[in-house]
Amino acid sequence: MVTLAMHMIDIVQNSLRAQADMVTITLDERGDESFLLFRVEDDGTGMDRISLERLTDPFFTTRTTRRVGLGIPFLKMTCEQTGGSLRVASTEGEGTTVEALYRTDNPDCLPLGDLVGSLLLLVMANPAIRFRFNYRMGEEMFRFDSGDLREQGIDLQHPQMLLPVKEYIRENLEALWRHRAAASYLC
Amino acid sequence: MEHTTGIKTLADLKRIQEEVRTRISLRDKAENPESLVQVKVAMATCGIASGAKEVMEFFALELDKRGIDAVVTQTGCMGYCFAEPTVEITLPGHDPMVFGYVNPKKADEIIERYIKNGELVDGIIPQNYNTIES
Repeated sequence: MVTLAMHMIDIVQNSLRAQADMVTITLDERGDESFLLFRVEDDGTGMDRISLERLTDPFFTTRTTRRVGLGIPFLKMTCEQTGGSLRVASTEGEGTTVEALYRTDNPDCLPLGDLVGSLLLLVMANPAIRFRFNYRMGEEMFRFDSGDLREQGIDLQHPQMLLPVKEYIRENLEALWRHRAAASYLC
Repeated sequence: MEHTTGIKTLADLKRIQEEVRTRISLRDKAENPESLVQVKVAMATCGIASGAKEVMEFFALELDKRGIDAVVTQTGCMGYCFAEPTVEITLPGHDPMVFGYVNPKKADEIIERYIKNGELVDGIIPQNYNTIES
């Protein structure tokens, strides 16, 4: 995984496999404290204590097609290499929250990558799931909610809407990114 | 698709949506997915790391551009991590076919040859073996 956007698709995939109906993705940039918080919350099946304990073990997986499960271990690796940390909380029957903290004053901090394109592919490919995406930069915040847009009559499944919606999110994120501290390695 | 600029508000997005709606709308996908080409891109850790996102984006945009009625969606790992990105394509009335090592160039070939003409192209992963029972 070379970008945060890749991690996002990967971790959200876990939520989808856990039969979530709603997935909330949060990116919170705190310039003054030099960190970025990346959080994925879902209302899926959740995990029992034993699964939770083995979660960062690359040789633990619930799937049957292969014997390794690298999504969470990779996320743990990339945030820890910046001096950050990973936290996972889960309650059976209620859902799971995965939270990775990246230090943005460390040159090993991953670039964001194609966050917008990745988010929209997830939205397009999973019409039954409500995706909420929040990007916070200090005091300011941009919110995207696939459920709200659908209510407003925006057809997020239509391929011809892919680029306009992408543009819409990107314009708003770029306005936020202008406030980023010069010392941040995030890009 | 013409280049769009200055889409900043929800109102802009609604305006574009109206334009899209007035163009010929061909899909009532959800009601009858069997009559459409189904493209499933494997998007687990292995697929993502090898570029599945670009492939999926390519299929979504190009199939529409070329006027092919299709549903592009994602799936988990199919167990062919060595051959990622992998794509499973189901033509209406056919068995699913899995292609490995797909990049946008390969995807273009798959659209032009397999999806449009039903010709087999290199890179097929034999997924299911049917045995003849006597």
